[in-house]
Amino acid sequence: MGISRRNFTALLGSSLLGGSLFSSTLLASGKETLFASASQTSSGLNELLIVDKQGVLRFRHALPARSHHIAAHPQLPLLAAVGRRPETYIDIVNYESKQLVQRIQSRQGQHFYGHAIFSPDGRYLISTENQMSTGDGLIVIRNVHDNFNTIKQFSSAGIGPHELRMMPDGKTLVIANGGIHTHPEQGRAKLNLSTMQPSLAYIDSLSGKLQEQVFLTTEHHQLSIRHLDVNAQGRVGIALQYQGDTLDDMPLVAFHSQGEAIKLVKAPTPINHAMKQYCGSIRFDRSGETVAVSSPRGDLITFWKQNGDYLNSIKTTDGCGLTATSRKSCFLISTGRGRFYHYDVSTRLKKRISLELAKGTQWDNHLTNIS
Amino acid sequence: MSLKHLIKSIPLAYVLLTYSSVATAEVNPEQWLKLNQAVINEHVLPNYSKLAEQSANLKTSSTQLCQSPNQVTLEQTQTSFIDMLNAWQRIQHIQFGPIELLMRSYTIQFWPDKKNLTSKQLNVLLTEADPATLTPDFLNTASIAVKGLPAIERIIFTDDPLKTLQETPFHCQFLQAISGHLLTQTENTLSEWQTYKQEFEYLSSEEGNYESAQEASIDLMKAQVEPLEIIRDLKILRPLGKIAKPKPRRLENWRSENALQNMQHNIQALHHMYSGVNAYNLSLLMREQGEVGLADKIETQFRSIESGLSKLPSPLSKHLQEASVHKQLLHISEQISQLHNNLEKSMNMLELQLGFNSRDGD
Repeated sequence: MGISRRNFTALLGSSLLGGSLFSSTLLASGKETLFASASQTSSGLNELLIVDKQGVLRFRHALPARSHHIAAHPQLPLLAAVGRRPETYIDIVNYESKQLVQRIQSRQGQHFYGHAIFSPDGRYLISTENQMSTGDGLIVIRNVHDNFNTIKQFSSAGIGPHELRMMPDGKTLVIANGGIHTHPEQGRAKLNLSTMQPSLAYIDSLSGKLQEQVFLTTEHHQLSIRHLDVNAQGRVGIALQYQGDTLDDMPLVAFHSQGEAIKLVKAPTPINHAMKQYCGSIRFDRSGETVAVSSPRGDLITFWKQNGDYLNSIKTTDGCGLTATSRKSCFLISTGRGRFYHYDVSTRLKKRISLELAKGTQWDNHLTNIS
Repeated sequence: MSLKHLIKSIPLAYVLLTYSSVATAEVNPEQWLKLNQAVINEHVLPNYSKLAEQSANLKTSSTQLCQSPNQVTLEQTQTSFIDMLNAWQRIQHIQFGPIELLMRSYTIQFWPDKKNLTSKQLNVLLTEADPATLTPDFLNTASIAVKGLPAIERIIFTDDPLKTLQETPFHCQFLQAISGHLLTQTENTLSEWQTYKQEFEYLSSEEGNYESAQEASIDLMKAQVEPLEIIRDLKILRPLGKIAKPKPRRLENWRSENALQNMQHNIQALHHMYSGVNAYNLSLLMREQGEVGLADKIETQFRSIESGLSKLPSPLSKHLQEASVHKQLLHISEQISQLHNNLEKSMNMLELQLGFNSRDGD
C-alpha cells in the first residue's frame, strides 16, 4: 500500500501536536529531518541523495565511485559519504550550501571499507581502513577542524574491520572486525575463509588501546561480524554474514554487552532459512529496545528485542537500509528498488512512502537519519 | 581551529549531471505488461492448477491406501506422489506471491535437508503416535520438515513400506494427514493467485504491489534466471561431491528415484517460460528488441541441456559413481552456467535489474 507524500509529512512531522515521530529532535534543534543514502542509478551513476520528510529529493551529489554508509556530523550540516571497499575516497559534503567541502583520499597503501563515524563532539571523523600490505585492519582518526588531516591511526585488532560505532561513554569505539582478508589486486575475492576469525573489538578512541575483544567459537568462525549498532545502555546488536556451506543453518544475529560472551540468536527455522545467510544492516529503534535487521538476499527484515528474542519479520524486496525514526519501535527501510517504507513493529503496519526520484534509482546498503 | 575552511567550497560540477537513459531499444511498458500476462496466464496459473490437481489425487490415493493397504493401493499412492512431485518441479521456480505466505514453499518441500531433520523429526512423531498430531491445528504449526513431500516419500518409499503401513496404521494416518495438509496449501495457493494475478494486469499503480509492469516483470524474470544456479549447485554438483566420491543420497528424491526427472521437469518448465508461452514470452521480447542472436543461443542451450539430461541413466543414484555419468553431469552443469550467463546478459540488454543490495552487498 502506498501512502501519499502528504501523509508521509503527517506521519513524520506532526511534531508539535502529536508528539510524533521526530518531535523531540525537531523541537530541540529546530533542524529539519532529512534522510541520506548512497544510491546508484540503473545506468551506474553513483550519488549521495538527500530526501526530505515529504519524500522530495533535496540534494544530489555525484560520487566518484560506489559508496556505502553516510555519516552525519552531530552539529554541522556535513555528511561523509564513505567509499565502499576497495575505494579510497570519502566525500565530505555540506548539504546546506550544497557543496563538496573536501574529497578525502586514504593514505597510500590503504583503502576504506565503507564505514566511518563522527565523534559525538564533532571533532573527529573515524574510519575503518585496510592496510593492504599486511591485510591488517586500521582505525584512522581525522581532524574535522584541520582539513580532515589524519591525527593518528591504530590497529582495529583484526582483519577486515567494517562498521564501527561509538559506545555511550563517547570515547570507546566498538568495531566489527569481519575477519575476511581481501586485497584490491584480487578484486573483492575473499582470501582466508577457512581460517577467518571475526571479532568484536572495544578500543579507546583517544589512546587506541584495546579494552576488550570477543571472538566467536570455532564452530561459528565463518560468521563474519560486519554491521552493528549500539543503544544507550551499551547493548551492541550485531548483523552477521555466513561464509560457510550454503546449506548450514547458522545464527545470523548476535548481541553483546561488555564483559559478557557474545549471544548468538536464531530466528525460527523457516525464517532463518529465508534470511539466506546474510544480513546487510542493523539498527536499534529510538528506545533501544527493538532491533531491525535487514536480509536483502531473502527480501526480508527481521525484528528482535535487545535481549535477543525474535519478534517478527516483513517481506521487503531488496530492502537493506535501516534507520530509526524518533518514535519507539518504528523504522524507515530503504530498498534497491528505490523505495522507502515506514514500519511500526508494535502495530505491524508497513507503509510505503512515495518518493520523487529519477527512474531507476537504487538505494545502497545503508540509510541515515539526519536530525 | 576555526571552521572557516568548511565554508570554502569546491564547486560541484557533478550536480549538473543528468540521469542518462538509453534512447533506443528501451522496452516499453506495454511489452512488459504483455509478457507478464502471458506468463501468468499460460505458465504460472496452469502449473499451480496442475499442482493442486495432483495434490488432490495424492490425497485420494493415500486415503484409499489407508482404507485397504495392499500392493495396488500402495503403488497407486507412489504414482500419485511422483505425479505431484513432478508438478511441483514445474512450478517451484516461482518463489513470490501466495507461495511465500506461511512458508508454503518450504512446507511443500524442505530440501536439501543437510541435518536429516525430516527423518529425525518424523521418527519421533511416528513413534509417539499421538492422535493430536493428525489434526490440521498441529500440522499448521508443525516443523516444515515433517509436513511436506519429503516426509511422504520417507513413509511410502522405505524398505517394505506395505508391511509397515499394515502393521502400524498410524503411519498411514499420518501420511493421510500430510496429504490433506498439502492439498490445503496447494488449493489455497491457486485460489489466492486468482487475486494476486491482478498485480500483473496494470501498467503502473500507486497502490499496487508493484509500481509498474516492468517491476512486476522483475519477479517473473528472477524466477526465469535464478533457479538455474540452484539446479546446478544443489541438484548436480553437491551430489557429485569431490572427484571419485559421489554422494547419491545428496540427490533430490533419491528414495523415489526421481532425481533426474526432477531436473528434466525444472529445465522444461524454465524453457516453457522462456519460449513456450504462446501469447508472448521472453524470447519474443528479445527478438522484438533486435537480440535475435542471443535469443537463438538461449533456445539452443535449453534444447541441448534437455537432450543431455535425456541421455543419462535413471535412477541417477545408482549410476552416480560411473565415470561417464560424472563427466556428462559436469558437462551439463557447465552448460547450465552458460545458459545462466546468457539469461543474465539478456536482462542487462533489456535493462532489467534483478537485484541490487541482494546481489552486491557488503
